[in-house]
Amino acid sequence: MIAPVGSLEVEAGHQAASVSYRDVTKRYPGQTEPAINHLSLDVPAGDICVLVGPSGCGKTTAMRMANRTVEITDGDILIGDTSVRDRDATELRREMGYVIQQTGLFPHRTIAENIATVPNLLGWDKDKTRRRVRELFDVISLDAELGDRFPSQLSGGQQQRIGVARALAADPPVMLMDEPFGAIDPINRERLQNEFLRLQAEIRKTVLFVTHDIDEAIKMGDRVAILKQGGHLVQYATPAELLMAPADDFVEDFVGADRALKRLALMRVRDINLWEAPLAYVGQPTAEVRAKLNGAEVPHALVVDSERRPLGWLSDADLRGDTVPQKPDTGPEPVLDADDIMRDALADLLQTETQYAPVTDAQGHIAGVLSVEIISEFLVSPEAKVEEHAAAERPLGE
Amino acid sequence: MTGLGAHLPLGAVVIHQHGGTCQADNGTFCFGWAADNFHRYTTPLLNHLFIVVLAVVIGFVIAFSMALISHGRGWLIPAFTGTTGVLYTIPSLAFIFLLLPITGLGWTTAIIVLSVYTLQIIYRNTVAGLANVPVDSKDAGRGMGMTDRQLLWRVELPLALPEIIAGLRIATVSTVAIASLMVFANVNTLGSPLYQQITFKTNILIAGGLMIIMAFVFDSLLLLAQRLLAPWRRQSRRMAT
Repeated sequence: MIAPVGSLEVEAGHQAASVSYRDVTKRYPGQTEPAINHLSLDVPAGDICVLVGPSGCGKTTAMRMANRTVEITDGDILIGDTSVRDRDATELRREMGYVIQQTGLFPHRTIAENIATVPNLLGWDKDKTRRRVRELFDVISLDAELGDRFPSQLSGGQQQRIGVARALAADPPVMLMDEPFGAIDPINRERLQNEFLRLQAEIRKTVLFVTHDIDEAIKMGDRVAILKQGGHLVQYATPAELLMAPADDFVEDFVGADRALKRLALMRVRDINLWEAPLAYVGQPTAEVRAKLNGAEVPHALVVDSERRPLGWLSDADLRGDTVPQKPDTGPEPVLDADDIMRDALADLLQTETQYAPVTDAQGHIAGVLSVEIISEFLVSPEAKVEEHAAAERPLGE
Repeated sequence: MTGLGAHLPLGAVVIHQHGGTCQADNGTFCFGWAADNFHRYTTPLLNHLFIVVLAVVIGFVIAFSMALISHGRGWLIPAFTGTTGVLYTIPSLAFIFLLLPITGLGWTTAIIVLSVYTLQIIYRNTVAGLANVPVDSKDAGRGMGMTDRQLLWRVELPLALPEIIAGLRIATVSTVAIASLMVFANVNTLGSPLYQQITFKTNILIAGGLMIIMAFVFDSLLLLAQRLLAPWRRQSRRMAT
């Protein structure tokens, strides 16, 4: 259970603000090449924008200019309508959550004191701070009893959750996250990623998220900015667009040879054109079913009840009977849901070694049939691009 | 015995030959003599305590200020380390004699010498403590909107504290030892009875013993202070085992 963050404890929880890079350049003295080169990108309020690229591409520098821990040489960054250059740097930073890879928790402060860092800097009174800290333990699903411990007494995953809680403490409109899950083992990383996405669905912060891991970028990002050496923005797009239409060879390489499979992770079963199996209703004369089987897309008849819910596949033995039986020889499993992620659906098909799987809609009615063949054809066919484009336009959450 | 007296700076006091045979024989430890004469050590002991505390406090204030001044001005660190290092190498007696024309014999000279000797250790440890603060902690503090001053007092100094106190412990213990030499600056520390009866074993054991106990007590108190002020250290060690 995730408690809402914008509750009464925090006065007028800050609305997320858009972040806008306007032709931003960063030059370090003594270096001929700029670290960031005319970077422009807009992050809508409430979106996660992932900055991704190989090491040395300037992604962290780009992120750090937003809270001016790195100063901008040229250009401007707007938070909402306000230029960060017009703000006092420390005030600006207190309004932006800040999470870094090794957590940066203060080893000499207790967990509760760590979480209360920004409220203390802002001069909140003790009661309000204490209430907020307790509330945040709920938000990150950790026991408030940990509050009296020191960071070294917590596991890496717990420390990283505390890092996120600390960043959220003053309910900032913008969060900066620099490889926040980079030092966590793969299993816990996935858990933390999912937790954060769930949390983000509630709190809707504008997040600048830095990672070098393209899979993480695709998973976490509403939009992904791919940077290459010298801080050049190569492509800024939704994850689906990125996988479907890499802007150049660099992006294609970076996204990886398995981008087809990654695309499947972004699609749902309903996004593909399913096949239709001949339907056989319980009690229907088998002669009628045999007639339907001639030239059908799927060479097997699917038995459904009067509500068109799949009951199983009609075998040759079943077909030799007079009427369609209530219980066919072969069950319908696996039954897929139209909302299933395509990659998971493919995994189900491969795991159960079945050729065809019925797909049902939200009411359990048959919506079509999916097969490995459909998926593989989809991935290689030119019209896949069109299909996928349509899929990419729709937000995944719907 | 009289030959040894020639080495004493302020004129040796020849051991009084009265009383029992123990001190006449210069026994290992003459309890009777000790009980009768212990009051002779009270003033030197208090002076010794006072001069150690004062010298370490003054040395700390100066060295700590130097560390804060050179913090964030890295180019000053070699200069400060060099200066305090050179001062540290001056032999104690030479240092006293160098100061004689300026400050003369007495407390001022003694305190200057002792304070100066603490600078190197306290300064180096404070600088090392500040340098060892995890980069991530500083980054996080700054990124969350701490000013330089807040970062220093809320993050860097608390995290450097164990090393700063470790420096204070070494400085204090060595000051307890060097303070005995301040007899040469005509200050009545535990060095006075020690050098006045340098061949009388009971005297050496009492004066020396008091200094050892004093060093041990100071060291324990500082260690206790470190434990109390840096509880996170203990907690993490307990977790690690």
